[in-house]
Amino acid sequence: MTEEQKITVTIDGKEVSVDKDTTILSAANSIDIFIPTLCHSELVEPYSACRLCLVEIDNGRKKRLVTSCNYPIRKPITVKTKSERVKKHRKNILEMMLARWPNVKIIKDMAAFHGIKTPRYTSPLQDPQENACVLCGLCVRACEEDIWESALNFANRGPEREVMMGYGENIPQCEGCETCMSICPTHAIDMDKEDPNNPFDADLMRKAGMKLTREMVLLDDSQCRMRKVGTAHLTEIMDEYDLLPVQNYRFGSHTETKNIASDVFLKNYLTQGKPDGCWQGCTMACAKTADAFTLKTGPYKGDQVVVDGPEYETVGGCANMGIFDPEFVLEFNFYCDTYGLDTISTSTGMSFYMEMFEYGILNKERCGGLDLQFGNSDAALTFMHRMAAGDKDEFIQVASKGIRRVKDWLIKKGWGDKQIIEDCGMESKGLEYSEYVTKESLAQQGGYGMTLKGPQHDEAWLIFMDMVNNQIPTFQDKAEALHYFPMWRTWFGLNGLCKLPWNDVEPENNAETDEPAKVPGHVQNYVDYQNGMTGGNVDKEGLILQSERAYNWQRAMNVWMGRGTRNDDWIPYRSMGPVTKKEYESRKDRYDTQFVEQLGFTKQEVEKMSIEEKIQKLYEYRQNRYQKLMDAVYYRRGWTPNGIPTPQKMKQLGFSDKKMLSMLQKKIDQDQEKGLNSWGGIYGDDEQPPTDKDQYWLEW
Amino acid sequence: MSITVNGKTIEHIKKETISDLLKRMHYTFPLIIVKINGKLIKKKDYNETVILDKSEVKVIHLISGG
Repeated sequence: MTEEQKITVTIDGKEVSVDKDTTILSAANSIDIFIPTLCHSELVEPYSACRLCLVEIDNGRKKRLVTSCNYPIRKPITVKTKSERVKKHRKNILEMMLARWPNVKIIKDMAAFHGIKTPRYTSPLQDPQENACVLCGLCVRACEEDIWESALNFANRGPEREVMMGYGENIPQCEGCETCMSICPTHAIDMDKEDPNNPFDADLMRKAGMKLTREMVLLDDSQCRMRKVGTAHLTEIMDEYDLLPVQNYRFGSHTETKNIASDVFLKNYLTQGKPDGCWQGCTMACAKTADAFTLKTGPYKGDQVVVDGPEYETVGGCANMGIFDPEFVLEFNFYCDTYGLDTISTSTGMSFYMEMFEYGILNKERCGGLDLQFGNSDAALTFMHRMAAGDKDEFIQVASKGIRRVKDWLIKKGWGDKQIIEDCGMESKGLEYSEYVTKESLAQQGGYGMTLKGPQHDEAWLIFMDMVNNQIPTFQDKAEALHYFPMWRTWFGLNGLCKLPWNDVEPENNAETDEPAKVPGHVQNYVDYQNGMTGGNVDKEGLILQSERAYNWQRAMNVWMGRGTRNDDWIPYRSMGPVTKKEYESRKDRYDTQFVEQLGFTKQEVEKMSIEEKIQKLYEYRQNRYQKLMDAVYYRRGWTPNGIPTPQKMKQLGFSDKKMLSMLQKKIDQDQEKGLNSWGGIYGDDEQPPTDKDQYWLEW
Repeated sequence: MSITVNGKTIEHIKKETISDLLKRMHYTFPLIIVKINGKLIKKKDYNETVILDKSEVKVIHLISGG
């Protein structure tokens, strides 16, 4: 906005320069001049129903009264907010309101502020309730404009006018988001008595909810567009940052990504045209639906169906299979949902099978006749339909159980090189990777590997912090992030909450806080949520402690089951670095620079090396870095170098279960005998492991 | 003539604004924070704020998604 488009107005003698079409109310508020309002909120369009915001304007020719909430400034004017004429009219209005609603707190307060003790007349419409509806219409407008539902409306006319749902019945359009109740200035809407959860302090929780609603209404369009396209907004962003998995994570972007970008779905397929919450009352409402989509394959071929989605992971999974067709994305999404398949595991699995097909380790004969080339959408769908139908072909049977089983099967059959199979099959702990390329972010490799559940992104998504921001350069920094974020995210799981309202919209002042990456304003929402629900008095550190207890107990359970060790936290090399020549070449500049900057080679030495040599050197270097990261993370988490939670740490967290503590001690003693209680990383002269003390935990 | 962006040294371009730099770096993510020599720059000033030679620029990407 240039200075020429600014207009200077004078309000109560003070000058202020504003953009054209700014309302008088906004201009006055911007210079701390208070104008009373009852029906106004920044969350809805101005309505000018209450008339309390009257001001007197003078344009040089004539003076008149206008409602300041909806009067747009288009030329220089003089405004008086407290002239005798304004005061007289405002008092009259307040007197009439007080006569009608004598016990409503906000009316009483405003009347008293304007010097009215008792009105001069009585109203035939008097409503003596303290929480009477004052017909300001905030609830009706918020439901329509912010929630896009119109579950509430005005009914009847004149003295009979009232707010109600259609025909006075509860109607399905009401999502129970309570925005109407939160925005109501008189508490006329009360849903508490219907709340089966019986929260200790519903107001505390409602305030947190309203903070989120406000941000979604005012900020979402310029932030993540969750209500328009949902998490799919990440597709084009991940492509731009070279993080979108393409052809089984070999590459991070593709020229055809534009065909499956979020706007393609928004313009051509998503049909609701409004926010869609996947649980009742959520105002982030990022679920999406494509109605009347005609299927091209499978048992429902030709039928028009409703497709729920697609989310980023589903779209990313299709790119991973090398398929950039939006109609395939929807068909794949529909059949995964219908067959009870996870879109992530299914697409990551198929991406691996396709890569094995490309190398000839699999072929049509070995795949039950399927031509599993990257990008072959027909083959991908046929595979799914045959899997769902219980096809007895050996490959279909094994492949339906996921990557881990296929790796074992291929190795057992003696097809292909064991190393390439292990390196390319993107699973850890038997779970398929979710859809991010982690090769260039060590912290994210840890975020996928050092997990309880396997390589999903719900414990720690650190790629930007690590790879783009360079905020956590040391092993200790990464280990701290791999302590905090998994604990924080575990808390959502423990409480059955979605994490998206934490950081998929952010407060306006988040950038100015001490730790923006943690979104402190929203962490407070969850503190309030838990205290409001339980009546407890937990703080943000208390939430992390809750998770740490659960997380360590779960890890100990894993140990009990014979898992939960360093070996189990290992990850395939494809997630650490380039496996093939093609991959190296696709990021040659980046890798060659790393040889000079990180591995200490000269440019001439790098030029002389063959790609095979460079791949091998990177292989050793990056695997050792992952080992060092494991050392740092285990130490930070209070575990042994073999990843076993120590009894000392467990006691610190408040566990006294003798059976569990002695089981852990026994495992640690066994590890000691086998020499497993020593660091895994190989350290150079100028480097140190987290500590050089043997059995460091004994001191805790 | 150079600036650093998130610790990485790159060429300084005369009269380059923050918006221009974000384009040059392909930084399209919506949830970012920009600091020049430790000073927070507000989003509304990205078009007008010119980056001077030897500036230490931080473009902090926050987290979202999945």
